[in-house]
Order: sequence, then C-alpha cells, then structure tokens
Amino acid sequence: MHDRGSSVLAGFAAALVILAGCGAGAESSSSDSGEVVITCATCQQSPTDPFLQYNYEAAQRFNERYAGTYRVETLENPNAGSSDDRLQYYQRLAMADDLPDLFQLNSGEIRALQETGRLHDFAPDLAADEEWAGTFHDHVFDALRGPDGQIWAIPQQRDAIGIFYNAELLERAGYDAFPPTWDEFEQLAARLRADGVTALALDGDWATMLMWVHLIGTGGGEDFLIDGITSADGWADDPAVVAATERLRSWHVDGYVNADAFSGEFQNAAAAYLSEQAATIANGPWFVKTNLTGDAASPGLYEKTGFAPAPGWSAGERGVIVVSGAGWVSGATDERALTAVREFVRFVSSQDEVLAQAAATGASPPVAVDPDAMAAAELEPLATGLAEEAAEVTHRYPHVRVHGPAGFGVAWRNLWPAYVDGSMPAAEFLDRLAADARAQAGG
Amino acid sequence: MGAAPIPRGARRAVAVSLLPGAALFATFFLVPLGVLLVTAFSRWGGLELAWTGLENYRRMLSDPVFFAALGNTLFYAAAAVAVQVPLGVAAGMVLALRPRGWEAFRTVIFVPFVISGAAYALVFSMFYNARAGLLNNALAALGLPGDRDWLFDTTTARWAVAGTFVFVVGFVMVLVMAEIAAIPDEVYEAAQIDGASSWRQAVHITLPLLRTVIGTVILIRLLVDIGMFDVVFILTAGGPDNATATLALYAYRAYLNGEWGYANAVGSTILVVGMVLIVAVRRLFRVGEGR
Repeated sequence: MHDRGSSVLAGFAAALVILAGCGAGAESSSSDSGEVVITCATCQQSPTDPFLQYNYEAAQRFNERYAGTYRVETLENPNAGSSDDRLQYYQRLAMADDLPDLFQLNSGEIRALQETGRLHDFAPDLAADEEWAGTFHDHVFDALRGPDGQIWAIPQQRDAIGIFYNAELLERAGYDAFPPTWDEFEQLAARLRADGVTALALDGDWATMLMWVHLIGTGGGEDFLIDGITSADGWADDPAVVAATERLRSWHVDGYVNADAFSGEFQNAAAAYLSEQAATIANGPWFVKTNLTGDAASPGLYEKTGFAPAPGWSAGERGVIVVSGAGWVSGATDERALTAVREFVRFVSSQDEVLAQAAATGASPPVAVDPDAMAAAELEPLATGLAEEAAEVTHRYPHVRVHGPAGFGVAWRNLWPAYVDGSMPAAEFLDRLAADARAQAGG
Repeated sequence: MGAAPIPRGARRAVAVSLLPGAALFATFFLVPLGVLLVTAFSRWGGLELAWTGLENYRRMLSDPVFFAALGNTLFYAAAAVAVQVPLGVAAGMVLALRPRGWEAFRTVIFVPFVISGAAYALVFSMFYNARAGLLNNALAALGLPGDRDWLFDTTTARWAVAGTFVFVVGFVMVLVMAEIAAIPDEVYEAAQIDGASSWRQAVHITLPLLRTVIGTVILIRLLVDIGMFDVVFILTAGGPDNATATLALYAYRAYLNGEWGYANAVGSTILVVGMVLIVAVRRLFRVGEGR
C-alpha cells in the first residue's frame, strides 16, 4: 500500500514537473561563463522562407563572432514567418511577460502590440549612437514609430516593389516595353486575352493587394495609403480608392486575371506566371529567389523577365511600393539581455550583413551601402535595377498588408471575392473592409 | 441489476486508483469548461477580465455574421446526415450480404474516412481549382463552362465545401455492417421459411433492427459537424463574405481579435446546440433503449 501511494505521488510530481517545463518560455539567461543568452523567435531554419533562413544564418555568425559574450538561442515556433496567428501569438506572450528577446513584426502588428507596453523602445539607442543611426535610409523608421516618438523596431529591409513581366509575351502582343499608363496596360491585357494569355496573375491576397495599392498610389491616393488606411472609416469617400477598387474589379470581370485569383495562396498566382500562362505578376525582389529561379519556373523564364514600376493613371506618373515596415523587435527587459539585443541589431544592420541578406533573399538594405561594396556583392540585377529606377518615379507608397491594420488581410480575403462576383457595390465593400480590418486587429 | 458494492477494505484503494483519472478529468475537462462558461459572460482579452453579464450574447444575437455561421453549421450537419447516413446504411446492408469482392469495396469506401480533414481539404482545393482543377477541366471537356471558381463564388461556395465530406460514408457503413453481423441468423431463417424475399427481409427485419445504430451515427455525425473547422479553414477561411463560415471558425476569428470572452460565448453556444441535438436524436431514435 505504501508503495502504491508513493507511486501516485511520484506520478503527480512528474506531471507537475512536466507542466512547469511547459511554462518555460523566452527567458534570457546568463551561463556560468558569463555569456549572455538571448532568445530569438524568428531565427529558425527554413527550407522555404529565405528570410527565416537568412536570420538563422545571421544568428549563427553572430554567435561565432561573440562566442563567450553573447549567444542567440532559437525559439522554434510555428509563427516565425508571417501568418494570421502571429500577432495573437506575441500578444499572448506579452500578457505572460514572456516575449522573446528578439523577433520580427510588420508595422500593423507593432501598432497592435505596442499597447501591451512590453516592447523595447530603440529610440534612445539610436540617439546614443548617431553614427549607427546615420547609416539608415531616410524615412525607414516612419512606419515603425509609436505615438510619442518611440521606435519599436530596427528595419530589416527597404524594398521597392513593382511588377514582373514576361517580355517575350509582351513582345508577341506588340509591346517592346512595359506600358507606362493603366489605359495602355488594359490595352495590352485585351491583346493578351485575345491570344489566350492571362494578363495579370493574382491570388486574392498579397499580390491582389499590391495591384490595389499601385492603382491607389498612382491615382493620388498616397495619403490614404500612409494615413487614411489606419482610420476606421471614410475609405469609400476617397475617390482614388473607389476608382482603384472598381478598376481592379473590372480586370476580373473582363477576363484579364487568372481564374483562380481568390484562393489567398500566392503560389497559385506564381504558378500562372511561372508556367507562362500569365504575362505579369506584382511582387517584391525576393520573388526572383523564391520563385523565378526555382524548379517550377519555365526554362529560360528568368532571362525573359523584366521588373518595372507600376504604370500611372497618366503619362509620367509611375510608382513603386516601398516596404520598410517590418523589422527586429525586442521584448527584453533585463539590461544584460538588452545589451546583447543592441549588439545583435547593430550586427544585422552592418554593411556586411545587409549585403549577405540581400544576396540570400533579394531584399534591399535598409542602410546606405558603399557603392563599391554593392557592386562587388553582385546583387540580383532585376531587383537592383528597379531599386535604381524607384528613385526616379513620381509616386512612392507603402503596402497595406504591411502598413495597414493587422486584420486587413483576413478581412480582404473574405470580402474581395464577394465584391468581385457582384454581391455588393464598391462603397459597401470599402466600408465593410475598413470595419472588419479594424475589428480583426482587435480594434 | 445494480453494481456490486465495494468491499469496505478496498474502498480506499479504489478511491486512490481513481485519483489520477479524476485529476486528469478535472484538469482537462472541468476546469476548461468552467473557464469557458465564466468568461463567456466577461470581456476577456488576456490583460483584463471584466464581468459583462449577457453582453456577449446580446452582441452575438445582433451580429448577422453569427447567424450566417450558425446557418452554415446547421447546413453542413444536415447535409452530412442527409447524404452520409442513407448512403452508408445502403452500402453497409449491401456489403453485409457478402457479394463478390465485398472486402475490397469495404476498404475502398472506408479509406477516405481515415484521411485527415486537412489533407482531404488540400486535395479538394486542387480538385476545385478554377484554373487547373479536375472539375473544371472535366466540365470543359464535356463542352460545359469550365472557369467557375467553385469555392470563392458566393452562390456555389457552401455547396462546394459540403461536397468535400458528405460522400465520406465509410464510418456509417462499418458500424452498420457490425450491427447486421450481430443480428441472429435464426431471424432470417424464420423469414425465409415464411417465404419473405431478400428485399422484404432487408426492409422489414434488417432496417428496423438498425434503428439504434442509425441514431448513434446520426448523433456522432451531428456532433462532429457542428464543430467543423479544419476543412472550411483550409478551403475558404470562411469566405467569400462568410458564405462558408462555421460557428467554430467564427469563434476562432473572435479569438484572433483578442476577444476571448466573446469567443467563449460562441463556444458555449456550440455546446448548447450540441446538447439539444443529443437529446433530440436520442429521443427520436430511442438510442440506448436496445432493440
């Protein structure tokens, strides 16, 4: 009897130990040797996400360089890449005062998470190190600021996003350059459709929103994309937004878009472009690394592909999306851990590292880089070509998926197909989109 | 006949042996249930917990998306019962006659049941794909319009989602076959002596004796389908315009919004709907009353 009682108690004790172990999360610590260990929730290996893979490799290089002083420890988790659940994941950790020392968020998520009061403010760190602060491009912190001048993240990249196009298909349709206006783009689309080619590959999510943003941004709606998008109403009162929305819908109705344009899966849109069924697709420079040079691409497609700014509503009014709304965030509170975090974000924003990231992902550096070093890095020419062209275009604007409310993507995927199939007028679509995007963001 | 009383000397040992099970039951069922029921009447987002009485339920009853999700949930449950049960019972009764190759048919019909909902949904997302899917290609080959996006057209989305699971009849079939195997042969032998045809035996002997198992499978199907989440989440995420959203997905969205109390109010509603269905089906089919 005594033995049985001991067994029961031992079982309970074991269960409690297991439960206690489940609670151990993102504690930073110091080893016996004095090495400061910090946790990173976006530094895990990934065979499919080049950004995560770069983060992993950067963390390994950091660990090597600072061996014995600092060490980054990876927190494996399913929300390391972008996902609809990512914000909730970090909100839960923030409530438990258990945020990782390092992780990455976009600006919409940062706006939601700042309300927990658990994010580290990098503004004093940048103010204390003017040389480091001076290396960053102008405005890269704009989307990462808090209401009182806080800087919640160190930007990871500053990318120009335009439209990839298959030059051979365009030539067959009679175009030797990418159309400079939306009217000409539609003329091209009509010719391509007559030839049995889809003009534009869309996915009902990221790529569709990119085109929506291009249409708004080049149509006088830059203010909406910067400020208006963060308000809960008035979207349907903005003529640039309404015109862009209706025009994008008309492309579906007129058959310029792939038939499976609502799945929310970018790979559906990518497949149409990579198989040369579609002539154009909007995306950032990382598309080269993740898709264009992969096995799924038709042979020789990379050589046929160009990367252009978006057309404008009138000649000479072309535009690009500039994405700098994602970056390294810290939930560290311990001063020793913060010292390691500061060293890490300096490390990943150093010239060598931003060039390594550019080579690995196609993403453009958030900091100014010596032109000789840039040339020596032999970066992807399509991406660097657009980055150079982006400096000359009339319009530059952020992407709603990064800069808008955190719930924008979920709301868009739900409502956009219904709007396109005629279930609601544009004004109702925009009103409901604004309301749902705020609601989904917990607003 | 009641259970035999536990000998006095063994009561303590029995109580101790029950403790781990009771602890697990309390930890993983009673405590979550209590949290669900209490927080359903609260505003709870993790940081704050404030008692709000019936506010969550008032909001639910004024939200058209809730009713859309409730309607879809009941539609999926009804569709599953209306299609799976008759087909499953028919398949079970036919295969119980042991026709040639019945074992192979049983395996083929049962296999889809053991495939996970997520894997099944992925297969069907390709099947329905508007550009390259099998369905549209087959329609086009027949000279019919082959460019409809079945999952993202508001007029077809709900039917397309239901089409992915209503034909999975293996579970019903296997239970029916097991029940038929338990019917004594003497019953059929007596019917044959009286000159009853195979059809009359099936209709007047087998089918009535399947009443309990049919009630049971209806109950199980309803309870599984009112909590449906994975298939819808993967296929459409509840869109377009909530045309395929279920109560479980609606609760999940509330959870993503940080409205945990509201999500639990929706969860408690699913619980109530499930209990009502259990009582109704048990009474209708007199489940648990034997043959």
